[in-house]
Amino acid sequence: MTLVAEPEAPARAPHPLRAEAVRGFAPAAGAAVLLTTGVLLAGSSARWQGAWAETATEVHGSLLIAVPLAAAAGCWQGGRERRRRTEELWGTVVRAPLARFLASALPVAAWVALGHLLAAGLALLATWPYARGDRPHLAQLPGDAVALAAAALLGHVVGRAVPARLAAPLLAMAGYVGLGIATAGHAGALLQLNPSYRVLAEVRPLWWQPAAMAVWTGGLALAAVLGYAARRRGTALLPLTAAVAAGVLLVQSGDGLWRPDPLARRQVCDPSTTPAVCVNARYAGMLPQVTEALSGVTEKLRGVRGLPVRWEDRAGRPHPDEAALPAITPLGWSAVRGRLTDPRQFAWEAVAGLGLRGDCAEKWPTGRVLLADDAVEHYLAPLPARQHFDGIQAQGDAGDRAELRERRAARARLAGMGERQRRDWLSAYFAARGRCDVKGVPAL
Amino acid sequence: MTGLVLYARSRALPAALAALAATAVFAVWAAGRLDAYLDPDRRVPIVALAPLLASAVIGTSLYAPSDELDRTAVRPWWPRRLAQLLALAALASVLLAPAVLGHPEVFGPPAVIRNTLGCTGVTAAAAAVLGARLSWLPAFGYVTAVYLASSGARGRAATVWAWPMQPGVQPGAWAAALIAFVLGAALYAVRGARAEGPRG
Repeated sequence: MTLVAEPEAPARAPHPLRAEAVRGFAPAAGAAVLLTTGVLLAGSSARWQGAWAETATEVHGSLLIAVPLAAAAGCWQGGRERRRRTEELWGTVVRAPLARFLASALPVAAWVALGHLLAAGLALLATWPYARGDRPHLAQLPGDAVALAAAALLGHVVGRAVPARLAAPLLAMAGYVGLGIATAGHAGALLQLNPSYRVLAEVRPLWWQPAAMAVWTGGLALAAVLGYAARRRGTALLPLTAAVAAGVLLVQSGDGLWRPDPLARRQVCDPSTTPAVCVNARYAGMLPQVTEALSGVTEKLRGVRGLPVRWEDRAGRPHPDEAALPAITPLGWSAVRGRLTDPRQFAWEAVAGLGLRGDCAEKWPTGRVLLADDAVEHYLAPLPARQHFDGIQAQGDAGDRAELRERRAARARLAGMGERQRRDWLSAYFAARGRCDVKGVPAL
Repeated sequence: MTGLVLYARSRALPAALAALAATAVFAVWAAGRLDAYLDPDRRVPIVALAPLLASAVIGTSLYAPSDELDRTAVRPWWPRRLAQLLALAALASVLLAPAVLGHPEVFGPPAVIRNTLGCTGVTAAAAAVLGARLSWLPAFGYVTAVYLASSGARGRAATVWAWPMQPGVQPGAWAAALIAFVLGAALYAVRGARAEGPRG
């Protein structure tokens, strides 16, 4: 037992970084990036929700607005001491200028990166219930986060150096326009050096591209910070050299930075129908509903000869014995959130693909062929708006009305054939169309 | 010096007018490089971004340097604030419209005027809530996000939420922009810009 109470240890002051990170402007900057990216992603959800590759592309593309916003946020934070009129006071403290700079700049950089990562996480969660294949593409997220943090640091340097009220909004606007021009450009070194450059969903970056991009953006920012605030400004040369080396590597690699997604070249097929139905492996889970949408067509084509082997769904032209499946991507048109938007329209487009397939140098179809095409289309999968178009034609001149009567008669003749007769007629029709033999198309 | 001149100087209005003029010159220059004679849709960047920049300029001029002193005045401030905002919005509309002459049914002067009013309204509201210096932030975030998000957006709702990107004759877009302007102007006129203390 002791009679002397031990003195209480003095309470340790929280680290300046912690105070800056949890209070003040830094969390608000992160929230601004989260909110802005959220508005962008919510407004364009039909374009990406339901496919992992499209989600990654859209999240990466959001850097076009997030990077200028991060730079403006950093610029705003950089002008803080001038607004508070505490610059002279800071000049009297023992901490080095670099430490003072980082204490106020790093939290904003970290928060804007965190805001972007949160937005990306929410986008991935939103895609999860609707994804029909593939798996999350996360390769570019670290590089994107570094680019945002780098933009915030560069903006901070600008905010310290430029004493103007309009510095932050001008920096945001200039960054947005500059990145937009660089993104819209179709060639040149700017494409590879642009951290917000978005490629097609069917393309993936090489494994080292995000790392090189991170060194490029992070090195530039670090060089600017050291050049502005370090006691030995020559140290800025080290990150600058790394950034230039990464930039040269990116520019030299050119289009070689990207490779086609191996999954996009694969298909999954349902061979139980004729023709077989194949969809791209990127959204393999859509096969049942695509098969269902085409079931009315495949049912009517049972036993018909001369058909393509399958509806295919991959980049490039179909092989001679294949027909192109209507485009499911880009999302937002035929398919939204893992569902076909209009199965009847999809079936009609699939039938159109059956008749005009392969490398057939189509000769000008005669009236007889057009009649046959129209009757086949109407029998297998009529255009949803066909009634509307027929109504317009019915109000036309005598020639239009006569042509419509002729087409309706041809449709009725095909529909009125016996099962076996129609199967033989369709076999002859598809065989002739497959051979590009206009004269061989049977009359109706 | 008259009270009006003193008021204008205290709000740095000469600098704001110069910045608005520079914005208009830049918009005319940029529009001339877009080669939009046959395809007015190419003017969308000007129609969306020039009003945004003008509204940022207007927003920073809403700053009151002696807010506490202003509150002791006998005369009400709201007519002056409202007149300042309306005058700057009208001036910005007049200055920016020549950048996109012609094609009023798509992306011509009506669309620029609508976007100038809408962006100014959002900025004025932000000045009342966030402060004049940071008033550009919400409009910048919203317009740039909508710029990227609205391509391919269809339906009546899209004409309202994507109002900065709509053709000039779209009633839903006009309604959204005018509501933003009226609400923002009223909020700013009544409350003024949020005071920016020493921690701002």
